Amino acid sequence: MRDWRWNSWVWMSLIILFLGVFLVWPLAHVFIRSCTDEHGFTLVYLRALISDPAQLRAIGNSLMIAAWVTAGCFVVALPLAWLFARRSFPGKTLLAGLLLTPMILPPFVGAVGIKMMFARSGALSTLLMNLGWVTGPVDWLGRFPLAGIVALEVLHLFPILYLNLVAALANIDPGLEEAAANLGASPARVFGRVTIPLAMPGIFAGLILVFIWSFTELGTPLVFGMRQILPVMIYDGVANIGTNPMGYAQVVLLLVLSGFGFWMGKRISRGRRSVATLGRMSVGRVERPLSWPALLMVWGGVGLLVTIAILPHLSVILLAVGRRWFLTVLPEGYTLDFFHRALTFELTRTALVNSLVLSVCASLLDVLLGFGIAWLCVRRRVIGADLLDALAMIPLAVPGIVIAFGYMGLFPRLFPHTLMDPRFNPMLLLAAGYAIRRLPFMVRAAHAGLEQVNRSYEEAAANLGATPFRVVWRITLPLIAANLLAGVILCFSFAMLEVSDSLILAQTESYYPITKAIYALMDGLENGVNVAAALGVWAMALLAAGLLWATALLGKKIGQMFRVG
Amino acid sequence: MEQKAPAIEIQNVVKRFGAVTALDGVSFEVARGELFFLLGPSGCGKTTLLRILAGLEKPDTGNLLFNGRDVAGLAPHERGAPMVFQNYALWPHLTVGENIAFGLVERRMLRSEITQRLESVMDRVGLKGMADRLPGQLSGGQQQRVVLARALVLNPQVILLDEPLSNLDAKLRAEMREEIERLHATTRITFIYVTHDQVEALTLADRMIVMNQGRVAAMGRPADLYHRPPNLFCAEFLGEANILEGRVVGGDGERVWVETALGAWHALPRGARVGDRVRMVIRPENIGPVSEHETSAPNRFEATIRRVRMNGATLTLLLEAGEHEFRATLLNRPGLELVPGLRRTWTVDPSAAIALPWE
Repeated sequence: MRDWRWNSWVWMSLIILFLGVFLVWPLAHVFIRSCTDEHGFTLVYLRALISDPAQLRAIGNSLMIAAWVTAGCFVVALPLAWLFARRSFPGKTLLAGLLLTPMILPPFVGAVGIKMMFARSGALSTLLMNLGWVTGPVDWLGRFPLAGIVALEVLHLFPILYLNLVAALANIDPGLEEAAANLGASPARVFGRVTIPLAMPGIFAGLILVFIWSFTELGTPLVFGMRQILPVMIYDGVANIGTNPMGYAQVVLLLVLSGFGFWMGKRISRGRRSVATLGRMSVGRVERPLSWPALLMVWGGVGLLVTIAILPHLSVILLAVGRRWFLTVLPEGYTLDFFHRALTFELTRTALVNSLVLSVCASLLDVLLGFGIAWLCVRRRVIGADLLDALAMIPLAVPGIVIAFGYMGLFPRLFPHTLMDPRFNPMLLLAAGYAIRRLPFMVRAAHAGLEQVNRSYEEAAANLGATPFRVVWRITLPLIAANLLAGVILCFSFAMLEVSDSLILAQTESYYPITKAIYALMDGLENGVNVAAALGVWAMALLAAGLLWATALLGKKIGQMFRVG
Repeated sequence: MEQKAPAIEIQNVVKRFGAVTALDGVSFEVARGELFFLLGPSGCGKTTLLRILAGLEKPDTGNLLFNGRDVAGLAPHERGAPMVFQNYALWPHLTVGENIAFGLVERRMLRSEITQRLESVMDRVGLKGMADRLPGQLSGGQQQRVVLARALVLNPQVILLDEPLSNLDAKLRAEMREEIERLHATTRITFIYVTHDQVEALTLADRMIVMNQGRVAAMGRPADLYHRPPNLFCAEFLGEANILEGRVVGGDGERVWVETALGAWHALPRGARVGDRVRMVIRPENIGPVSEHETSAPNRFEATIRRVRMNGATLTLLLEAGEHEFRATLLNRPGLELVPGLRRTWTVDPSAAIALPWE
């Protein structure tokens, strides 16, 4: 009997090969190097990590930032989520869209603009001096460096939590809340005793994600010049990766902590997920309209929040169009020259091209891998496909900095002067790194698509004479095209402004992607900051367009792309 | 050379899903050009059997022959047995024309031939001029026609139909039933038709099997199975059945004499022998009133009318005879004076009382 499923195994082998080389191997390498020396197993590095006060301070700082960021995001996102999930009011769609805008700029680029605003000679200092409230220039960031980092990251990450919370609240069967009210619970008690417990898995998933992302954030503290932060110390250690194993220990610590958080999030959400939606909703949810005074408050509040949240973006734009912005509240004059220079200047032009090429390659890779994995899981139910699926989800819990560090530690030594050596040419590893990091989004998008497509569409095609390949080509792919496209757009957008892989892996100027170029320009030539900002604005525009497109394609499902569970 | 092998042969097919045995040793043959029905309640395995024929499921054991050729190892796209799916499975992203031409394109047919065949088949099923619409813009009946056309256009040896009418309302169902009958009559393609609706099977089938719990409960022509069911399941599934219990006390080779609580009856045996306990199956339409004086009529019994229900063309009576209840169906004519409480004599023709062995 002919086995017409051989192609599953080809797919499976290719996917395993890719994930093995670019995900599992580097992670394993990092683990092994962190606890071995020339004599074999040792815990000396890990012990050194927790006995060195400098290291401990860095770990403490990182944890503190993460905790404050998570708390800050929760305080901002919970009322928003409740409002948008449960109330209807004019302009809701517009405001909901605006709420997502902070996501379109990595806080690292925003930090460039914020730094100019809050610096000694920056806008705030000058404004306060002009008003006569302070006597001399104040270096706000120098005084409260951690607060600056926390604020920027909160403004960047609260939309992620908001998306999770809205999804969690929307998933609750309104009948359960009505039953509580019917049995005598006041609205506040219903919220506390029914709504929040039922939404807990979603809330927790979002909190964990925000915690992990802020704990492993490299760009923002780097720009603010904070060295005593775990990810920054890892970054600084890349230069002597071959000689100093402390970097490995730091990476493993980072990995273990975020892995633990991820695992907890998954456990909690899996245990309770089924409760919130026992089968179908028993009654439809009616979104209550807001009264006029409440409406004004909502518009004012959300408007203010959005304004604050896009302050970093505005500052970057001002920086990009500003002629001399030094000891003045606003720039002295305006020019579009920096946009032009961002496109013509050698470093920035190649960076734009590099990022475009890399993002396209990474997105294509992700489509192939993501669709392949989802297809093997949902359709072929090949043995081991679920394991593959779990493997593809690991990057959610693995900070980008860990993967990049693993690449740097592993490949140049084994394959010097090849495409696997980032010091020689980092393009392949950058593309692979970008692809690996965004693979979970793609797998989810493809998974969701395949589960919506009735199997009989494919069976009918096979039944009428289409080979397995033709079935996929003519029926499956067109039917889930919207999902795949949305996944591609997300992968592409995030790859365009990917920070940690880019900063660590790109070692020579001709291979700099956008983010590394921005970082390099910041303390570079005259007006470098302005050109960097202009480059950032270009990237921001691309990313905004991409996210809007993806949202239009995916609708409410976009929230589910950013979940742990 | 004229092939003598049957169009389809199923030999001893077994299929298990975990602990559930969906098919438990099913065997039958379908002749060329037959309109063959697989009838049974939901969960009896009939759809699984159809999917095995299409290659969408693999049997655990057993043989599968098309025209005498073993096809068990062939993938779905190599079977050449197009299927009419219960939920239609019309691809929403392809137009009606593209849906119908799908199989032709997969067979690498010339564009000119595809166009020509497409036109001809759309004409035949009454979809002329709809090639550029999307399936979502069609009514249920039209969608059904597209699915049929999608199979017919391939000119296959066999077409598999999985509950094709279950999504239609009563009026459309009757219309499509005739359409399918007409298409079968004009093409003489072998149709294998799965349904749980005994009316569909009785009206359309050349031959059929009645399935129960993964086994073939009965096989034969609809009229035979209806009038002389081989077992109780078949009798009750194909229509209404009154049951009268008794014991065979004698016979003349053609008929048996059954001793019952309502006296001695004459019946047609289906495997029942003298001395056996039997159940007699009597269809409601075979119970009729008889004049008290006509003593020559066999199988007479006294019963009181308990309820009368008028269905239009027919009347359904609930009769009570001692501890027994019977349903009787009569043609509804003016002047019938049958009212609740009336007690009179009834009779059943001996050839309409089927004596089945106790199971």
